Amino acid sequence: MKITPHKVAGVFLLDRQLATKGEALYGERTFDGYRLWNPRRSKLAALLMKQAHVPLAPEQIVLYLGAASGTTVSHLADIVSLVYAVEFAPRVARDLVRLSERVENIIPLISDAAQPDYGPVVELVDLLYQDIAQPRQAEIAVKNAELFLKPRGHACIIIKARSIDVTAKPKTVYKREVKKLGELFDIESVHELEPFYKAHAAVIARLT
Amino acid sequence: MAHIKTWFGDIELHNDEIVGSQVLNADIDAMARRLQREDFADFDKECRGRLREIAIKLQVVSSEREYVSLLRAIMIQRAKERIVTAFAQPDARIIQLIDGIDDIDESINLLSERLSEWCLLTSETSMPEDLLEAFASSPSAQSPLAQEFAGSISRLCELRQETASAIELEMRTTAPNLSTLAGELLGARLIARAGGLGSLARMPASRIQVMGASKALFRHIKYGTKPPKHGVIFQHPLVRGSHPNIRGKIARILAAKIAIAARLDFYSKRAYPELLSQVEKRVGELQTAAQPRTT
Repeated sequence: MKITPHKVAGVFLLDRQLATKGEALYGERTFDGYRLWNPRRSKLAALLMKQAHVPLAPEQIVLYLGAASGTTVSHLADIVSLVYAVEFAPRVARDLVRLSERVENIIPLISDAAQPDYGPVVELVDLLYQDIAQPRQAEIAVKNAELFLKPRGHACIIIKARSIDVTAKPKTVYKREVKKLGELFDIESVHELEPFYKAHAAVIARLT
Repeated sequence: MAHIKTWFGDIELHNDEIVGSQVLNADIDAMARRLQREDFADFDKECRGRLREIAIKLQVVSSEREYVSLLRAIMIQRAKERIVTAFAQPDARIIQLIDGIDDIDESINLLSERLSEWCLLTSETSMPEDLLEAFASSPSAQSPLAQEFAGSISRLCELRQETASAIELEMRTTAPNLSTLAGELLGARLIARAGGLGSLARMPASRIQVMGASKALFRHIKYGTKPPKHGVIFQHPLVRGSHPNIRGKIARILAAKIAIAARLDFYSKRAYPELLSQVEKRVGELQTAAQPRTT
């Protein structure tokens, strides 16, 4: 098997499969100290597979909204220095807490990202990553960026078209959301996540 | 002068200098309790960017590494507390119970089907619905394995009964108005669909009316087919027992009252028994009005 580094430091390609370094945390397959990262289970992995320029770096502090059970968070923690992981649903948050007990650089926050109450806790972050199934995704991103994102900090926001408007065409929804985000951010690029995810797009932006 | 309230204490800043502070000892329990107890105002980004530096300067922690590990320990504890509280809510218990009933029903059906297939094979009993009775009256006529099977099914039926009475009990105390109006089981199902009594109370009646008919609803929105008249509230005897011509109207009336009942239960807990009779009166009027046309 050929191991090549990905454009993003901390990410590797084992033949053509994405991986990060570390021990298995949620039952994923490992190979020689590398944890395979399935792009059908993680939108960030899908984005990296699409060769997009993702603003990730080893020294970063990340605020992650919509952490769910922590599949993506666990890989992200292999790449960056610290992840503040926000999840509201208690069912999946249980897995997230279990994960953060095992991984030193994950801080779990059981809160509603739409009404952030983690103000006294979260420091200024380099990257805002958001993957939440809410109709008001753009507003939530803006609110959290205003509070927690470093000036000129990056944001990576997953738009789930089906959560915003099931009846509209995904492309129309992306356009509308990107416009809303444009009020606070400079939009750098928009990537659809086909074929890994249907009706999902990732917006990479930077705080103006 | 800026005053910031952080997880490790209150700090006064003047021209980037710390002029006053009241910090906590690095005690995980005390810090977690304070986060839960007190209100915190947002503060500006400049101060937020200096949290680590300030905590080290004030000797709350001795290094950045320690800053992260202390905060992580506190937030893991907070997270566990929050999860426990979320699962201790009565509506969370109700949702678990109603999901349990659905699982039991599915199992009963599955096992009954298997048992009837099996008995057809040995051709000892004819009708599947008589199976359990046949087993009860003459158990010796069947093979021991089939008897075990039938026993499991009837135990599941008992379990279903027990679960249903548990739901009735919970519903009577958590949502008395909803229970009276919709019945405990249907009320519980509505709460489960909405994701909690709070979400149900915040729902418009029109959405309650078609809850559980989302496929038909979105088919309507997308392709312009006929809109659904009722979702899970079809199970209500007033809807199910009425003529199809007026079921839509009844579903609408009932959903409107259910919305009111859910709000009463969530926000005040005051019993308001008139709700059901009001619906029954309206339904009665509709039925008499519909009579001449149907006969």
